[in-house]
Amino acid sequence: MSELSLPKKAIDWFRNITTLAIVVAVIWSLIGLEIRWERLIDLPADLFLIGTLMFGNLDIADFPNLAGAMWESISIAWVGTLIAALFAIPLSFLAAENLVGRPIAWVIRQVFNILRAVPEVILAIALIPIFGLTPLTGVLAIGIGSIGTLGKLFYEVIESIKKNPLEAADAVGANKLVRFRWGVLPQVMPEMTSFVLYRFEVNIRASAVMGLIGAGGIGNDVALALRFKDWEVAGMGLLIVILGTILVDAISGAARKRIIKGTQAKPIELAEV
Amino acid sequence: MISFKNATVEYQPGVKAMDNLNLEIKEGEFVVVVGLSGAGKSTLIRTINNLVPLTSGELYVDGEAVHDLSRKKMRALRSRIGMIFQGFNLVDRATVLQNVLMGRVFKLPTWRTVFGAYPKKDQQVAAQALNRVGMLDRAYSRATDLSGGQRQRVGIARALAQEPKVILADEPVASLDPPTSHAVMQHLQKINQDLGITTIVNLHFLDLATAYGERVIGLREGKLVFDGPGSECTEEVFEGIYGRSLTAEDTLSEEA
Amino acid sequence: MTASKVELPKKPGIPGAIIFSLVFAFVLTVVTMITVEFSLTEILTNFGRRNLVADGLFNPDFGQILSERSLSAFIETLQLAVLGTVLGGGMSMFMAYWATEFGNPIRWLRAIVRTFNNVVRSIPDLLWALLFVTAVGIGILPGLLALFFFSMAVVTKLTSDTLDGIDMGPIEAAKASGSGLISMLRTAVIPQILPSYTSFVLYGFELNLRASAVLGLVGAGGIGSRIEFFRSRGDWSEVWGLVLMFFLVVFLVERFSVTIRRRLV
Repeated sequence: MSELSLPKKAIDWFRNITTLAIVVAVIWSLIGLEIRWERLIDLPADLFLIGTLMFGNLDIADFPNLAGAMWESISIAWVGTLIAALFAIPLSFLAAENLVGRPIAWVIRQVFNILRAVPEVILAIALIPIFGLTPLTGVLAIGIGSIGTLGKLFYEVIESIKKNPLEAADAVGANKLVRFRWGVLPQVMPEMTSFVLYRFEVNIRASAVMGLIGAGGIGNDVALALRFKDWEVAGMGLLIVILGTILVDAISGAARKRIIKGTQAKPIELAEV
Repeated sequence: MISFKNATVEYQPGVKAMDNLNLEIKEGEFVVVVGLSGAGKSTLIRTINNLVPLTSGELYVDGEAVHDLSRKKMRALRSRIGMIFQGFNLVDRATVLQNVLMGRVFKLPTWRTVFGAYPKKDQQVAAQALNRVGMLDRAYSRATDLSGGQRQRVGIARALAQEPKVILADEPVASLDPPTSHAVMQHLQKINQDLGITTIVNLHFLDLATAYGERVIGLREGKLVFDGPGSECTEEVFEGIYGRSLTAEDTLSEEA
Repeated sequence: MTASKVELPKKPGIPGAIIFSLVFAFVLTVVTMITVEFSLTEILTNFGRRNLVADGLFNPDFGQILSERSLSAFIETLQLAVLGTVLGGGMSMFMAYWATEFGNPIRWLRAIVRTFNNVVRSIPDLLWALLFVTAVGIGILPGLLALFFFSMAVVTKLTSDTLDGIDMGPIEAAKASGSGLISMLRTAVIPQILPSYTSFVLYGFELNLRASAVLGLVGAGGIGSRIEFFRSRGDWSEVWGLVLMFFLVVFLVERFSVTIRRRLV
């Protein structure tokens, strides 16, 4: 048999350059950061010690108070998410290129992008001097911070609607409002509702830390307990955060499945958020 | 009723989907339009309710000059023309009744449509339309829960609810299986005979065209190449329209 | 139409589940609004009032980022994000693999891994930082650990969802041709998930970059400590200067990362 030569493999420049960039970035970070790595040796022992202190003798007497604080966190997330949706819905229709012109859509999208970049905690820091150390600060931080993500998810849904019902609406002589009501809304409502719930789940995590900087909710209790080495309270608080978050995730997730059931909606791609 | 005078539609310069068409369709006629895909069947139908505007020429429908209509008058004209689509074009997440009531929107104030508050009288029109296609008992089913043939019957009911002068059907059976196709065509034929609504149907299958078309119009590259009764349509005539010999895919039934 | 009057079938009532959901959502909204002491008038009057924060926002000090301490804190933040993501993303590969049926056939062990993943995922970034500050003291190490766990949680979740949905055909084929575990992974699993995995890691990087800005608020290093410093002094021009410059960079990095992610999937 004569030797066969395979066709020459093309050099994947995109891949090579990306890989190189990542390697350089990692090395730069490793050299640049002055980390006391030796502290890692004690870390498992320290963590174990703190773990025993926190969870070793949990006191059920701490529960009601902390559960109430967790409820406040959940409330902050829910009201904040609703406020965000209230703004994101109308804005997202203006950001959909199939409903409005490109220039308007572009401007609204940049607003979404800017809002998306800033973490809620930073917003909360800015709002504290105005609204004080109250849950309302957390609500507004989450409300403003979620407009961007929700808006982006919403306009992607709007842009993926089917044109057929719109054509039917045109053919019966419908005006713009009727066209919107029956051609667009029924197609986007289930997904939008489901995205609001999804964002609520994400915001539970954000609101749980609002308290670390004093903006209401359970984070405040946990932060104080850790600062004053009140280990049992911190442990109970952490446990409640974990259980509460998982519980809300489960309920909201089940509701989302029900809403989307029977439609061809694409699953939420976290990677696009 | 409908009259094309030197009507031309040009999508891009040089690409004509309708080429200098002259055609008269009288009130109450049942016309079947045949031709290869891309021959301009879809364009012909969509010019009648101005979903596709003419590039040049004249078109009169029910006394209105379609090539020269204000938006308001255009919507009024569209409300008098029912349309049936290949893909049914129903609102999937709405009920059958809500879909059929879409046919009433032009005659009602916008707020009623937006809130779904339809008067009894219009509900009765919708009920009559559903009854005619045998879908009354499914009035409150969701459109997604229906089979293809049932969805098309809802599509027909929506057009009927407009109490139209003209019904346009764009490949109404292309997504359906043979028995269902015949059922849908029979509904259209019966509506034409009972109510005298002028009906124009695009068809892909030649045996359906000869079976149902009182009058058959053949299009090729946007030009009118045949116009005569369905009974005169021989294999030779179709080969002339298609510009090639016929294959099994050109007919609905298995033997061809 | 001359047809005689026909009766529509009886209109079905609204399904109980929908009524329940609507009532539930309404009650939830009312109760939560009371809990957070929601007040529209307070919002409107407070936003309308002139305040130092807004003054700072309209007069930001962009030069602050170039001052020696802020610049080094800023670079530190970027480095933390890179390293935290690489370590967390790498670890998540294993965590995701052990959470799947073919990677971990022992049922109870798999349940433990999955529970662990869920618990890790339910703890927010800043809370991780606070926990590690408590454990190892103030510095950048707790920041790195926080980002490690945080990005590991996110990437693990996304990757294991992808692993659950991969085509089992190539795996069977690899097993049938007698390949061992490593070569099976190499030829049948990794090619299937590598593009999405890479894109998840990049996504984790974007999240970490944003999170790294706030780590300093609880003493875990980076630009956040500078932001906190100026905030405690009430220097809002400096605060906003740092925040805006930082998020300009985040924004640019994110655009870049999104472009790469698009090319991958």
